[in-house]
Amino acid sequence: MRRRVYVWEVPVRLTHWVNVICIVILSLTGYFIANPYLRISPREAYGQYFMGGVRWLHFVTAFVFIASLLLRTYWAFAGNEWASWRGLFPFLSKEGRRSMKEALRYYAFLRREPPEVTGHNALAGMTYMFIVTFYFLIIFTGLALYGWLHPVGVIPALTGWIFQIIGVQTVRWIHHFLMYLLIAFAIHHVYSAWLVDMEEGNGLMSSIFSGFKFIRENAKPDWIVSKKEPSISIAEDESVSSASEPQTA
Amino acid sequence: MRAVENALGIQIPDNARLIRNIIEAAQYVQDHVIHFYHLHALDWVDIVSALDADPADTAALAQSISDWPKSSADYFQTVKDRLSAFVASGQLGLFANGYWGHPAYALPPEANLMAVAHYLEALDWQKEIIKIHALLGGKNPHLQTYLVGGMAVPVNPNEQSAINAHTIARLKSWARMGLDFVAKVYIPDLLAVASFYKDWAGLGGGVGNYLAYGDFPQVGDDPNTFFLPRGVIFNKELSPPKPLDEQAIKEYVAHSWYAYTEGDQVAKHPSEGETQPNYTGPQPPYDFLNTDGKYSWLKSPRYQDAPMEVGPLARMLVAYASGHARVQEVVNMVLDTLGVGPEALFSTLGRVAARGVETLVLAEQLENWIDELAANMGRGDWAVFNGDMWEKKNWPDEAYGWGSTEAPRGALGHWVHIKNGMIANYQAIVPSTWNASPRDANGQRGPYEAALIDTPVADPEQPIEILRTVHSFDPCMACAVHVVDGRGREVTRIKIV
Amino acid sequence: MDSSLQLEKRLARRGITRREFMKFCAAMAATLALPARYTPRIAAALNEAARTPLVWLEFQDCAGNTESFLRASNPTVVEIVLEILSVNYHETIMAPAGRMAEKSLLDTVEQYPGQYIAVVEGSIPTKDGGVYCTIGGRTALDIVREVCGKALATIAVGACAWDGGWPAASPNPTGAVGVQKAVPGLKNLINMPGCPMNVANLTAVIVHFLTFNELPATDVMGRPLFAYGHIIHNYCPRRGHFDAGRYVEEWGDEGHRKGWCLYKMGCKGPQTYSNCPTVLWNDGTNWPIGASHGCVGCMAPAFWDTMTPFYERLPKAQVEGFGVEASADTIGLAVVGGVTAAFAAHGVVSAVRARRQPLASHEEATLTATTEKPDNQ
Repeated sequence: MRRRVYVWEVPVRLTHWVNVICIVILSLTGYFIANPYLRISPREAYGQYFMGGVRWLHFVTAFVFIASLLLRTYWAFAGNEWASWRGLFPFLSKEGRRSMKEALRYYAFLRREPPEVTGHNALAGMTYMFIVTFYFLIIFTGLALYGWLHPVGVIPALTGWIFQIIGVQTVRWIHHFLMYLLIAFAIHHVYSAWLVDMEEGNGLMSSIFSGFKFIRENAKPDWIVSKKEPSISIAEDESVSSASEPQTA
Repeated sequence: MRAVENALGIQIPDNARLIRNIIEAAQYVQDHVIHFYHLHALDWVDIVSALDADPADTAALAQSISDWPKSSADYFQTVKDRLSAFVASGQLGLFANGYWGHPAYALPPEANLMAVAHYLEALDWQKEIIKIHALLGGKNPHLQTYLVGGMAVPVNPNEQSAINAHTIARLKSWARMGLDFVAKVYIPDLLAVASFYKDWAGLGGGVGNYLAYGDFPQVGDDPNTFFLPRGVIFNKELSPPKPLDEQAIKEYVAHSWYAYTEGDQVAKHPSEGETQPNYTGPQPPYDFLNTDGKYSWLKSPRYQDAPMEVGPLARMLVAYASGHARVQEVVNMVLDTLGVGPEALFSTLGRVAARGVETLVLAEQLENWIDELAANMGRGDWAVFNGDMWEKKNWPDEAYGWGSTEAPRGALGHWVHIKNGMIANYQAIVPSTWNASPRDANGQRGPYEAALIDTPVADPEQPIEILRTVHSFDPCMACAVHVVDGRGREVTRIKIV
Repeated sequence: MDSSLQLEKRLARRGITRREFMKFCAAMAATLALPARYTPRIAAALNEAARTPLVWLEFQDCAGNTESFLRASNPTVVEIVLEILSVNYHETIMAPAGRMAEKSLLDTVEQYPGQYIAVVEGSIPTKDGGVYCTIGGRTALDIVREVCGKALATIAVGACAWDGGWPAASPNPTGAVGVQKAVPGLKNLINMPGCPMNVANLTAVIVHFLTFNELPATDVMGRPLFAYGHIIHNYCPRRGHFDAGRYVEEWGDEGHRKGWCLYKMGCKGPQTYSNCPTVLWNDGTNWPIGASHGCVGCMAPAFWDTMTPFYERLPKAQVEGFGVEASADTIGLAVVGGVTAAFAAHGVVSAVRARRQPLASHEEATLTATTEKPDNQ
């Protein structure tokens, strides 16, 4: 028997999909800014502001992306256990380390069953730690480069110091290269989700739309639950699951 | 750049050849005039003596040698007043501590005043003529338009951002302005000043061997078509010069602060040259360098083991001996005016004169190349760049190249060894390395050192005679010369500028 | 003629009218981005100034900044030397040489302590006791510390005097540094990077100094804001082409002839702070982008190391296994490709495993649940 658990709250799902859209737009526009591969006709310039438009889109999307991440950061403290910042650091707790080991063994074909979790497994949690670091770096370098364009105001004041340490070209290189790391992550992310969805049958893929996953009745509590407050999360589980009809797989 | 083009076998378009010739010729005209008036003239011209000149007599003198319009008595009065006000201010600035009143100054006050007037005029003139560089290369100094494979300045008579008829017109007007000043001011001044210093036609000869890579190709990059021909002269022989064998160039480090892996007595061709610093001199501050050991940051390039002089004199001698009609004509005019024979060329004065001859010949030629560029443009030939080798993927795994040019102060060669798309070795022999080279492993002196032998110095504390010879080579600014007398005591240290 | 002769009178003797003089002052005010009301103040300053002594030191340099100085047009170098300043020491253009030349420098330092302007051109080597640049047996380091230390103000001209420039480019064999590192804590230092610096800005700094008795405002790197306050890109006349998306694709192509944006040819205009597009070079004749060659970023920090390759948008990285140099795109695509391949392989293996060894939990959830023994519940 499985029960329906409300895992991904609205802010988590919302920011997830905003991030997806932002990353797609930012990657496409960012690559174009670095290497404008399209040939624009040599006609008179009225209505032709293609690069300008691409840059506009890049900047606007970047600020939407930042806003989305700020919301997500807030929710890492305000949201449920699966939204918690603790999920990024599985190696800090004993359960986390154990779950990481299980996940590693599973991915390395040393263990048949996927690690049993309600949220995401501990190894995935750690990849998000890297992703959050990449987000921070790409946003910081992006803001620094944005401030570079007109070095007056808050943004250059907060970020301009980087140019004293590494040159603007290196900052650009990092900003550009991080895009590839994020793309590589996205591939990994989608693949792992598909794999776990297929193997676990817990509705992982649909959960990021609906928020609900289908967890076995007798599942262990997640590694992510801190020792201090295990009961709260269980209670939440139950309240949510009782609110909706339990279903079987 | 030419070294890489040579290594990769790139042929540049004809327009690129012409633009390079125009830029280089403009550089010669401007640089030689700056050298004559601002870096060298004050060795011959006594500024303080100019204060005693009578403007009317100066005007008469100036009008007798040239029809340059700025030669009125009023004009020279203005210059004299400006100079007087400057001297009266008590702040002599750049001219403080000059050797004014030195017995070696031979010009009458009027000639000095005329030279001072033209010193100031030339300062204003040089920044105008060099706008040729700014127009073609964005800025001067350090213009940016040279590419491996051509030039970055486009040609299109129908576009405002490319070289068009307007550009040509501006180039021509500057070229004419250049020729005008050279023909009506520089050359007459040179002849007038030289006529007072004919004794210097017998001093400062130096090594007597001359080397010119030659430059200004008239067709493609063919050395046989160089406007200033390539060749080598040994022992002051003006018979047709010997052809240049690039492989015969070797560098010694016996007296240079470098080390070779095979030991410091060998000589190496630049394509396999090494630059390993090995400073053995005294710790600063010091007053004395021991010339028995290593004593210079310059290597000692030698051609067939002989020291060679490079520069305008070498180029003009090679051109003269090769039968370059216009060079022969101008050289003979100079020799006739001064009443001396060709042997006078092998001297300090010969160097000064050769620089003037070259300036005139190139200032005349400059406009021809501009016309040629215009003609190409008219024919619809707008190519400026050959991109066959722009991408590294087209390069061979390994290539050697030699690029040569003639900088205003002499033969300049670059050697490059390219391996797997990277520079494996790069060596340059710049003109002042030839001229200012220290002794080689065989103890042979370089041109500076040889030229200074037997130069009489009236006052060791004010060695203006030494400056005259060293400056006549047009040394590169950053070099230093040390003169040591027979007892090993340093006579004086001369900052070469 | 007495030394208090005013500049305006001195100029009048040379046929320069008051009107022309005021025009020059107005042009100067404009270069310095000052309001028009400063024009009389500049005129007054130029008139009243006793000629301030200036010494120009050259170390590891190519005299490019000296050449640039000679191209000065507002005022010209003749006016600077004869009427505006007292240029007491400048190795390249001064009359005396050797010991007498050094005397000019010593005299200035001794007679006008704290009252002269020091201009430094070229980098200062620090390795091996500074033997790589000595003048009259003294090291550059020794000279620059004494002369700049006693100066009223120091202007470091060119990339080399700023941050070491070309001599300091990797691997920096002589340990070359700029003035700010050679003389730590030096007050009143103005940095004017460029290869060379633009003389229009140098004359503007001098006039600013003579007018206000203080140096112009600078950014964190000590560069005057009026000259280095904005990136070239924002004032570039080809910016319209950039925004529209019209780029030169290769040298000599149609876009190149039409004067389109040089972004794709590696132009560093977006990376470089300089007023080149507005003041131009050589008395307003042209500037590099005007001559259809991209900016090489010569006014940017450590430009030989950071702005190369000049004809690429991004620097190259040296990574083992990617050849001698690789672009961010090459490495990035390799990473993406590697990840894709790895997960594709993993996916194939997983699919095979799923078929051969079906996971019980899929169909028989209860059975699997018992195999996994919950130990903490």
